[in-house]
Amino acid sequence: MSDIIKQKIWEIIASHTSPAEVEWLQQKSVSTPGVSTPGVSTPGVSTPGASTRGSSAPIELMTAFVAAPRFLSKKIINTSEAEQAALNLEIPGFSVNGWSLVRLSRVWLLTQLDPSDKEDYTKSIETLFDTAEMNELVALYSALPLLSYPDQWLFRATDAVRSNMGFVFDAIALHNPFPEQYFSELAWNQLVLKTIFNDKPIHFIEGLENRMNEKLAVTLSDFAHERWAAGRSVPAQVWRLTGKYLNPALLADMQHLFDSEKEEDRQAAALACGEATLPAANYLLAKYTDLEKSVKSGALTWADLEH
Amino acid sequence: MCLNHNELAQNPSHFEDSEEATQAPAHRDIAWNDYKDLIKGMRFFDPHIHMVSRTTDDYQAMNQAGIVALIEPAFWVGQPRTGLSTFKDYYSSLVGWERFRSSQFGIKHYCTMGLNSREANNEPLAEQVMEILPLYIYKEGVVGVGEIGFDDQTPAEEKYYRLQLELAKEAKLPVQIHTPHRDKKKGTERSMAIALEHGIDPSWVIVDHNNEETVKSVLDQGFWAAFTIYPFTKMGNERMVKVVEQYGPERIMINSAADWGISDPLAIPKTAALMKMRGISDETIRLVTYQNAIDAFGKSGQIDVTDFESGYAVDQTEKFHGNSILRGGQQPAPVKDFLVIN
Repeated sequence: MSDIIKQKIWEIIASHTSPAEVEWLQQKSVSTPGVSTPGVSTPGVSTPGASTRGSSAPIELMTAFVAAPRFLSKKIINTSEAEQAALNLEIPGFSVNGWSLVRLSRVWLLTQLDPSDKEDYTKSIETLFDTAEMNELVALYSALPLLSYPDQWLFRATDAVRSNMGFVFDAIALHNPFPEQYFSELAWNQLVLKTIFNDKPIHFIEGLENRMNEKLAVTLSDFAHERWAAGRSVPAQVWRLTGKYLNPALLADMQHLFDSEKEEDRQAAALACGEATLPAANYLLAKYTDLEKSVKSGALTWADLEH
Repeated sequence: MCLNHNELAQNPSHFEDSEEATQAPAHRDIAWNDYKDLIKGMRFFDPHIHMVSRTTDDYQAMNQAGIVALIEPAFWVGQPRTGLSTFKDYYSSLVGWERFRSSQFGIKHYCTMGLNSREANNEPLAEQVMEILPLYIYKEGVVGVGEIGFDDQTPAEEKYYRLQLELAKEAKLPVQIHTPHRDKKKGTERSMAIALEHGIDPSWVIVDHNNEETVKSVLDQGFWAAFTIYPFTKMGNERMVKVVEQYGPERIMINSAADWGISDPLAIPKTAALMKMRGISDETIRLVTYQNAIDAFGKSGQIDVTDFESGYAVDQTEKFHGNSILRGGQQPAPVKDFLVIN
């Protein structure tokens, strides 16, 4: 992990906290006595870990990670576009917008752990996972894109997808670039399906477009049939995952959607057919001239169905 | 358990009957329709309830009856634990899954962490538990060290009670004391004396499971006196009303200690209704069923009443993500009255 991202996170923290909170965090990241701490010798210069990692013993950092809510205020951080862009430059898709100060500070504390000894490093983080409460789990999963040895966390990450704790699931599934980069196709598809199953918006999944695949599109059709059989519905935007892979079975689903009394279902069918290479899909769309026009002119896009 | 408690003596619940209590249960159970109007608009805080042992029906009923927040003390789960991992998993569930489950029913969930007295007697295991306990007591929403104290009043129990008092002192956390079922009066006095010996301010200590015999000394020495309303056993709600009439609301709080025994997660709302019937003032009811618990455990710095005082929002995602994430899953409102299940 680059030092720049740590520095960027620190800058966001520093601009959203009181001097007392900044001091507590600095103290926790450099509190081992007798160890020199370049970069933080001047109090008030808020750059611990700017050019170097904090020199705290792991246990100090781990305790600080746990105790953070006792020393930091309850507030939500909204990042500026510039801050967001700076983070994305380092890690595409990484966002801290809407995080609590505690969550952000916890993630920053994790970046202060020294990764040079792989065994010690992974043991510290495993211990935090094993003893974590709900908000700690959220912070840990949010930090995955920043941790060293990403392969080491793959099982944890797929386990979070199995979580029934909504916030924990959200931390891995939504606004998190880790799954896009490291999940197998099977694990990825499970993540997307579970997001749909939990009625959460899939457009918050990082890499949704990049990781589209035929298996997912086909499974989605089965899922929709089950929902329809139960008299329930499927959010219209999920059909964005199918356009490229339309086959005769999926085409029948498109017909079902065109026949729906919900306008958004009809729009979704039009958008999916518009993206299809299957000639039959193009013929089907041509039957609905108004919708075809909106799709072709770009007046209607998937963004209209994102909620 | 009131009918055949002797058969159950080998596996007693949170409370054990005395012969006397069994013969003259001073408890009255009242039906929801008979008391819902009496407590309309009241909010309740249950500072002692073991939700891991309760069902979703209970959560729904509690939410409906006005319970907005609760404290789940770490306790003995009925089956002795055989290793550190099960302690770890149990502690993690108190701050993880159970906390989340509670939030789904609109109830804010706090807990106290500790090694219970019964299992303090397994010394090799107790040693290991003490090593991991510090990792848990600093966690968000942990409002005290508890429930700790005496069961059989053995030397091992005393040892771990003292160690945990020190832990509480260091972490600046209140202490929730479980007083023993047998030899209660002496056990209560001994628990308080030891806490004072460790230099702990009695206003940071909640002495639990009081009765008419113990309450005076507890209050006189400056401790909080908690009463557990547990059907057919130590404290019935009829008797509770009399205690409040006699001692007033100061430093007194009521809890259900509902667990896997025959217990009642609605003990607080029912007792509030009974107090209301007996003409006890709304302010007194508010203190003993809500405010005093918040004042006592709030010393931990972990209770923010804005999280629940105007009703705890079931969907908390906004707070975490700043956007409107829809939530699938459970219904917070009771659905039992409907024949058709959707």
